[in-house]
Amino acid sequence: MKVSLFVTCLSEMFYQNVAKDVVEVLERLGCEVDFPRGQVCCGQPAYNSGYRKDAQKAAKQMISSLENSEHIVTPSGSCAAMFKEYSELLKDEPAWKGRAQAVADKTYEFTQFIVNVLKIEDVGAEYPARATYHTSCHMTRLLNEKEAPFKLLKNVKGLELIPLENSYDCCGFGGTFAVKMAPISEQMVDEKVRHIEDTAANVLIAADNGCMMNIKGRIDRKGKPIEVKHIAQILNTRVEGRI
Amino acid sequence: MAVGTIHNKDAFINKISSKLGRDRNESVILPKWEHRPQFEVLKGASSDELAAAFKNNSLEKSTYVVETDAKNLASALEKVIEKYGGGQLVASNDQRFTEYGLDELLKQTKAHVWNPVLGEENIAVTKKANIGMFFSDAALAESGTVVQFNDKDIARSISLLPMAYVSIIPKSTIVPRMTQVAQAIHKSVEEGNNLATCINFISGPSNSADIEMNIVIGVHGPVEAVHVIVNDM
Amino acid sequence: MAMKIGDKPFFDRVDDALEDNFMRNAMAEAQDGLRGRKLKATVEDEQIGDWEEWRSAGEEIRRHTLENLDYYLNQLSENFARQGGHVYFAETAEDATRYIQDVAKKKNAKKITKAKSMVTEEIGLNQALEEIGCDVYETDLAEYILQIDDHDRPSHIVVPSLHKNKEKIRDTFRDKANYTGTSEPCELTAFARSQLRETFLEADIGVTGCNFAVAESGTISLVTNEGNANMVTTFPKTQITVMGMERLVPTWEELDVMINLLSRSAVGQKITTYVTNLTPQLEEDSIDAPNEFHLVILDAGRSNALGTEFQSALHCIRCAACVNVCPVYRHIGGHAYGSIYQGPIGAVLSPILGGYEEYGELPYASSLCAACTEACPVKIPLHEHLIKHRENYVEKKGMTAEKMAMKTFGIGASSPALFKLAVKGMPAVLGPLVKDDSISSGPGPMKLWTSVREFPAPGKGNFRKWFDDHKKGRNQ
Repeated sequence: MKVSLFVTCLSEMFYQNVAKDVVEVLERLGCEVDFPRGQVCCGQPAYNSGYRKDAQKAAKQMISSLENSEHIVTPSGSCAAMFKEYSELLKDEPAWKGRAQAVADKTYEFTQFIVNVLKIEDVGAEYPARATYHTSCHMTRLLNEKEAPFKLLKNVKGLELIPLENSYDCCGFGGTFAVKMAPISEQMVDEKVRHIEDTAANVLIAADNGCMMNIKGRIDRKGKPIEVKHIAQILNTRVEGRI
Repeated sequence: MAVGTIHNKDAFINKISSKLGRDRNESVILPKWEHRPQFEVLKGASSDELAAAFKNNSLEKSTYVVETDAKNLASALEKVIEKYGGGQLVASNDQRFTEYGLDELLKQTKAHVWNPVLGEENIAVTKKANIGMFFSDAALAESGTVVQFNDKDIARSISLLPMAYVSIIPKSTIVPRMTQVAQAIHKSVEEGNNLATCINFISGPSNSADIEMNIVIGVHGPVEAVHVIVNDM
Repeated sequence: MAMKIGDKPFFDRVDDALEDNFMRNAMAEAQDGLRGRKLKATVEDEQIGDWEEWRSAGEEIRRHTLENLDYYLNQLSENFARQGGHVYFAETAEDATRYIQDVAKKKNAKKITKAKSMVTEEIGLNQALEEIGCDVYETDLAEYILQIDDHDRPSHIVVPSLHKNKEKIRDTFRDKANYTGTSEPCELTAFARSQLRETFLEADIGVTGCNFAVAESGTISLVTNEGNANMVTTFPKTQITVMGMERLVPTWEELDVMINLLSRSAVGQKITTYVTNLTPQLEEDSIDAPNEFHLVILDAGRSNALGTEFQSALHCIRCAACVNVCPVYRHIGGHAYGSIYQGPIGAVLSPILGGYEEYGELPYASSLCAACTEACPVKIPLHEHLIKHRENYVEKKGMTAEKMAMKTFGIGASSPALFKLAVKGMPAVLGPLVKDDSISSGPGPMKLWTSVREFPAPGKGNFRKWFDDHKKGRNQ
C-alpha cells in the first residue's frame, strides 16, 4: 500500500525520532512510504488564532503537495483533524473546496491508519513497562478516533496500561493557548501531571506531539521520573521472530 | 375574560426578519422531523410494564409508592394518612373522589375540600395542612411523574403547600413518557381548545442540590410524596 | 452593566481565581459529579435509546425555530394576548426594566418574589425594582444565598452559588439572617424554607424567567426542583415572565424533546421535579393563580447573531453542559469570565451580547479542546464559534506583533523552500539556549512557555536528509 507521510512541523523540528519510527513501522507493515517535499505546516496555529487568510495559504500549499497521494498518514490526531477543516476553510473558493475535501478524505492519523485501513491490531511490538495513555482532545473529539491507539497498545507485549483519571480533560496545550493563557494552561497541565503520577506509571504514551511537548515539558520541569513517548516509539520496538 | 395587549411587536419582529435576510414570514409549516427518538421509549410496553416502570422511577425520586385496586383504595389511603401522621388533609374539588367512593374517607378525616367560594380561607387551611390529596390526570412511566391540569377547583396549592402530597394514579392513565401527554395537549390546541392555566408535571418531593451538590429533600414544596397506583383496568 | 461581573481586567480576574483554592476544588468536584450524573442520564441510559438521536432531534428543532423566529414570536404573542396576557417586546435591557417598573408602580407593589432567572440578572432587574422602592426576594436556594451575601454574583448558570461551600453559606446566614444552626445542607435548606415561606404568600408580584415558551398555545414552561417557581407563580396576583427572544418552541411536541434534553444535560435527571406550564387563562375566581400575566420578550443584543455565522449560538437552552466539562472553567471558575454567562457558551455569547470591547478576550480562554461541542445537547459547534470570534477580533485590531508573526507564518507556510529554511535554521536560532537537551528559559513568547515548562531542543539531525538516505538504503 502506498502511503505519503505528513510528518508535521513539530516532528520535523523537534521529534525526528518519532518521524523515523513512524516510517519504519509503516514499512514493516508492508507500506511503501514516500515523503512529498512540498509539505509545510498544516496551518492550525494561524487558524486557531483567528488568522484565517494565513491558514488558507498553508492549506493550499498542503493540498497541492499531497493531493496526488493514495493515503496520507500523520503522527498527529490534531494535524489530521486540521485537514478535515480545509474544505470549510476554503468554502468560498470553489476551485479549492473539492480538492480540500479529497485530501481530507484520504488523511489518517497514524494509529487510525494501522487499525482501520491496514486492519492490523498487533504490530508485534514489545515494551515491558507500566504505562498510561493520554488521549488527545482533537484525536478523540474532532477526528472521532477513540479506540485505535488502545487496540494497538493492548497487543504490545509486556506493556501494562493503567487507565488515566480524568483522561478526557485537556492537558492545557491548545497551541498558542499555552502561551497566551499561560497561567491557566499551567494549572491544566499540572492537574494532568498529578493524574499521571497517580497511576504510578513509568511511561506516558501519547499520539500527539503538541500534548507531548506540553506534558513532557512540565514533567521535566518538575523533575518527575516519568518518560514521555509517542505511540510510534512504542510500536517500533520488536519482538524477535515476529513479523 | 380580560383582553390582553401587545406592545412594540411590529418593529421588533420586522427587525428579526430583516436580520434573517428576508421579508416577514407569514406562514410556516412545521417540518416532518427526521429524528424522533421520543416515540421509541417504552414503545409497546404493557400496562403492567408501564406501572412497574412508573413505580421504580417514583421510588428513585424518594417517593413512597402504594399499589391497590378500586375496592381497597379507601383503606389504602387511610393507611397512608396514618403513616404520614394524620393532621389536616386537603383535597382537590374533583368528581373522581366521589366516583372512587372516597367521600366517606374525606368526611371521616375532616378533610378540607377546596372550594372557590371560600376564597382565601382555602389557602389559610392548606398552608397549615399536613397532606394534600389529588388525582393525577396522567402519569409518566419513564420518570415517575404525575400530571395535573390545574384550574379553580383542581387548585395548584394542594400539591404544593402541605408537608406531603398524595397523588392517586389510575393505572390506565400511565403512559410511557411526556411525549404522549404533549401529543394529546398539542392535539387539543389544534382543535381550538384553551389549555388549563397550569399544567404541572410533578416528580416527587421538592429538592435542591445547590449546597455542595448534596441533594436535600424538601425545599419550598412538599417534603414527602406518595404515589397511590389504583388498578382500574 | 448587569451582565458584567467586576471591573478588573481579564488576567487580574484569572489571577484572583487561581489563588482561590476553595473555589477551584469546588468547581472540580462539581464538574466531576455533574459529568457522572449527566452520563448516567444520557449516553448510559438505555431506556431512552440513542442519546445522539436526541441531540440531533434537539438540533433540528432549534435550527428550524430560529430560522423562523419572526413567525413563532408573532404566534406566541398573539396566543398569549388572546387569552388575556400582556406582551411587551423589549429591544434593550432598559426597555425591559422600565416596563416592569411601570407594572410594579401601577400595582403599587411592595414585595416581589423571584424564581431563578439568568435573563433577569442580565438586565439588572433586581436593582431596577429596588430603585423604585420594591423589596425583591430571590427564592431559588442558590440565588437566595447570593442575594443575602450582599448581592454576590452567579458563577454558574444552573447553580449560581457553586463557588460557595456550606461553611461559607452558614457564616453568611449567621451574619445576615441570624441563623444559629450548623453547616449541614439539610439544616441550611430548612432555614431558607422557613425564611421564605410567608413571603411567598404575601408577595404582590412574582417574577420568573422562561425555559421555553410554546408558540402554539402561549404557554410558559418552567423547569425547577425546589418548588419555588410554583410558589412564585401561584400566590401573587400579578406574574411577570422575562424571556430571551430565542427561548421558544413551535408546539408541545417540540417542548417535550427540549425538556428531556435540558433535564438530563443540566442536572442528570430524567425530568426535573417540576415542569410547570403556565398559560394566561385568567379566571376571575381562581384563588391561587395570578389574574394578570405579563410576558417581556427581550432582544438586548441577541439579534446581532441572527443571519450570521453565530446564529446557532441562539440555539442554547442554558443547560450548562458545556460549562460542566470545560477544563478552563474548571480552574478559573465563573467570576473570572467577567460575565454572568460563563464557560464556553459564555465566551461565545458574551461578545455577541456585549461586544468585543468588553468581552473580546473571552474567546481566547479556551484550549479549543472541543469538550463543549461534544457535550452540547443541541449540537452547537461551540469551539468553532470561538475560532470565528478570534477571527473577528484580530480583524478589528490593528497590526500587532502576533499579526506580524502570523503573516510571516503565512508566507513561510506557503513556500516549502522558506519552510525548509525555517526548520533548518531552528537549531541555529535555539541552539545557544539548549542545556541538557531542553530549553529552560527563552525570549519573547517562549518566555511564557518556559515560565511553566521546558521547551524541547530542536532535533539535531535533518529528517528530510535521513529519509533520503533511508530510502536509498532500502532500494539497494
